[in-house]
Amino acid sequence: MDDFENNTTVFSALRSLNNFISLEGVSAPDTPGSSRSAFQIQYQQRVQMEEQAGQIHSKSQLLQVEREKMQMELSHKRARIELEKAANTNARNYEREADRNRELLTRIKQYQERETEAENKLKEQMEMSKCYKKSMETMSKKLQEKESKLAEANETITVLKGKISELQWSKMNQEMQMTSQDSQKQELMEQLDVQHKKWQEACQQIQMLQANQSHLAEYEQKIKDLEQKLSQQEHDALIVKNMKTELARLPKMERELRQLKEENAYFREMKENNGLLKEEVEGLQRKLERFEKVQAQLATVELENEKLLGKLKSWEKVDQSTGLNIRTPDDLSRQIVALQQRELTLKEQNSTITSSARILEKARVQLQEDIIRIQSQLLEEKKKREQHEALVRRLQKRVLLLTKERDGMRAILESYDSELTPSEHSPQLNRRMREAEEMVQKLHAHNTELEAQLSQVLEEVGNHKQRAEMLEVEMKVLKSQECTAEQSTIITKEEIDTLRQKIEELEAERSKLEEQNRSLEMKLEKLTVQGDYDPSKTKVLHFSMNPASLAMQQRKEEHQQLQEAYERLRETVRVLEGGGSIPENLEGLGSLQSSQEIAELKKQVESAELKNQRLKEVFQTKIQEFRKVCYTLTGYQIDITTENQYRLTSIYAEHQGDCLLFKASSSSGRKMQLLENEFSRTIRELIELHLLQQDSIPAFLSALTLDLFSRQTIA
Amino acid sequence: MAKQVGRDQQGITLRGSAEIVAEFFSYGINSILYQRGIYPPETFTRVQKYGLTLLITTDPELKNYLNNVVEQMKEWLYKCIVQRLVVVISSIENNEVLERWQFDIECDKTAKDENEPREKSQKVIQDEIRSVIRQITATVTFLPLLEIACAFDLLIYTDKDLAVPEKWEESGPQFIANSEEVRLRSFTTTIHKVNSTVAYKKDSFP
Repeated sequence: MDDFENNTTVFSALRSLNNFISLEGVSAPDTPGSSRSAFQIQYQQRVQMEEQAGQIHSKSQLLQVEREKMQMELSHKRARIELEKAANTNARNYEREADRNRELLTRIKQYQERETEAENKLKEQMEMSKCYKKSMETMSKKLQEKESKLAEANETITVLKGKISELQWSKMNQEMQMTSQDSQKQELMEQLDVQHKKWQEACQQIQMLQANQSHLAEYEQKIKDLEQKLSQQEHDALIVKNMKTELARLPKMERELRQLKEENAYFREMKENNGLLKEEVEGLQRKLERFEKVQAQLATVELENEKLLGKLKSWEKVDQSTGLNIRTPDDLSRQIVALQQRELTLKEQNSTITSSARILEKARVQLQEDIIRIQSQLLEEKKKREQHEALVRRLQKRVLLLTKERDGMRAILESYDSELTPSEHSPQLNRRMREAEEMVQKLHAHNTELEAQLSQVLEEVGNHKQRAEMLEVEMKVLKSQECTAEQSTIITKEEIDTLRQKIEELEAERSKLEEQNRSLEMKLEKLTVQGDYDPSKTKVLHFSMNPASLAMQQRKEEHQQLQEAYERLRETVRVLEGGGSIPENLEGLGSLQSSQEIAELKKQVESAELKNQRLKEVFQTKIQEFRKVCYTLTGYQIDITTENQYRLTSIYAEHQGDCLLFKASSSSGRKMQLLENEFSRTIRELIELHLLQQDSIPAFLSALTLDLFSRQTIA
Repeated sequence: MAKQVGRDQQGITLRGSAEIVAEFFSYGINSILYQRGIYPPETFTRVQKYGLTLLITTDPELKNYLNNVVEQMKEWLYKCIVQRLVVVISSIENNEVLERWQFDIECDKTAKDENEPREKSQKVIQDEIRSVIRQITATVTFLPLLEIACAFDLLIYTDKDLAVPEKWEESGPQFIANSEEVRLRSFTTTIHKVNSTVAYKKDSFP
């Protein structure tokens, strides 16, 4: 620490010296004397300071040394104490060792005894070993035998290996055959396809042939037609030949014709004559016919005459037999007419009678009603008469009673008159008499009245009876008429029936019409609700520029525009599909660009695909190379059997199936697990050592490689 | 518009009646167009009328069209020659009529010759109109949904002897082939009576 300080001082002194020197270099010409003196002073100061520092330094060193000395003394004391302690412990140890020595000596003695025992045992053992050696020899002999056997077995193994190799060879061959057969099969399949194609072609050809055959048939038919035509033509030729011959004969014919014409003229003249003659003949024939007809008519007329004569005679006979004034048919016809007229008149009468009958029928009905009425009246009258008769009887009785009373009264009065003096009582009696006489007269009058009434009633009864008789008579008449009138009544009944039917029909119709009317009214109401109107009275107006029509128009325009655009686009699409260049009028630039773009894009795609393929090839070759390198360097072929599972096959594997299966527990492949299989079971030791204890797969694999390698080299 | 009638609070004149009915049509048609979604809802604005919050269109073209029709309606109502107003809603795609809102108008033609106003208070009429418009709003619950783009047209049934004015033309009645009808409420100003009906296309799959 102090040295370091010193160094700094030296350095600082040096620096100050240098500074001084440089200063001196610069400022020397200005002030040499003053500067030098200052430096000297400075130097002296420094020297002094250094001396002081040295003193202080030495002092501190001294102090330190003293302190060290103190420490040393202390340590020395300590060491001495420790050494004493150590001496004590050593002395104790020495005692202990001496004890142990003694013990050990005793033990040695014991061991010596044991040794002797062991030597004895050894001798026994030697003997035993000799026995064993003997047995060993026998065993070796056996072993030799076994070894010879083993050699034989090895031989057989080699033979078997050879067989195995042969079998492998044969298997390889079979595989080769299989592949060759596969290829053959493919070839055959190709051939089959070819055959198929050929077959299809053949089918097509067959179809063609069929078509040709049909054509052939048509042609044959045509040929036949043509042959027919040919024969016809031959016919025609024959005809033509004939015609030619006829033509050759023509001049002759013409000559003949001339002759014939002359003859013809002659004949014409003759014909005219002939015609005249014929006309004459015809006239004569007609006359003849007429005569013949007349003759025939004559005969018939004669026949008729005879018949008529016969008829006349018969008529005359009729005239004689009937006595009527019928001499001639005219008379008869006249008579018939008269009879018809009579019939007509009778018919008229009949009709009038029937009508009257109808009227009478009606009258009869009325009369019947009248009769009923009258009978009821008659009954009433009869009742009345009976009543009247009863009254009359009563009145007669009363009259009798009254007369008796009167007689009685008279007798009483007479008795009174006789008994009493007439002078006293005469006025009184006279008055009574008078009263009584008056009463009698009244009764008489009443009686006569009643009698008159009775006679009246009787008369009435008589009248009624008469009327009843009259009506009965009428009834009879009407009944007789009824028979005749029944028919008419039937007719009227029918009429009534028909009329009733009509009425019913009309009623039904009326109800139907009413229903219709109602339904129509309902409909009308519904229609008015739906907005119907009477076009004769009403008309419907709307604003011509209404929103609906405007919307429709707009829509139409849009539609049209879209249609146009669609047409244009379709045109372009058609052109593009055709593969031709786009015509200039159809928005040439845009579509052209697009086609160019397409071409460019296609090129890009192609190049990209090519690149991809090349990369694939490169990768494949690289991968193959990498795998091979891995195999040769590590001695393991690594295959991926399934996802996350790897199969390792050693280069030194004894059998082809000997492989190790590893499974990656995570997708990154950081942790691998060995899966158990037949091969891994045979190398359990390696697994235990390297995987379970050391936890290192590479070490395990290397150990396995070494193991297998050593085994193979030994073999 | 109703204020012209308001000068005589107690009575209804022919002109006032025509005004009321035409105004009702204006608001009714707007309501139908909004409720049935013929025009987008954002083109409608809220207005207080008949004690209800009603929506009327802000689309200038539609507004113009409606004003034209309603003014013409008013004139015809005044002349008592209009029988019916129909709002036809049809599909734009195939022009098929899907809905018909029919307002039958019964005119009391004797009112033409009368000078005295009828006795019916403004408030009662407004109440009636309010219930009709409420019903129009409520019909949305049972009318089938209009799934395709639709447009509307206004048909006016008038007397036969009417001369067709300019910009107007005769039209067909535009029936619905297979329709279901529902009668709505009616209201009357004592001169004009308006019966409302809606007919709509029956669903082919009941």
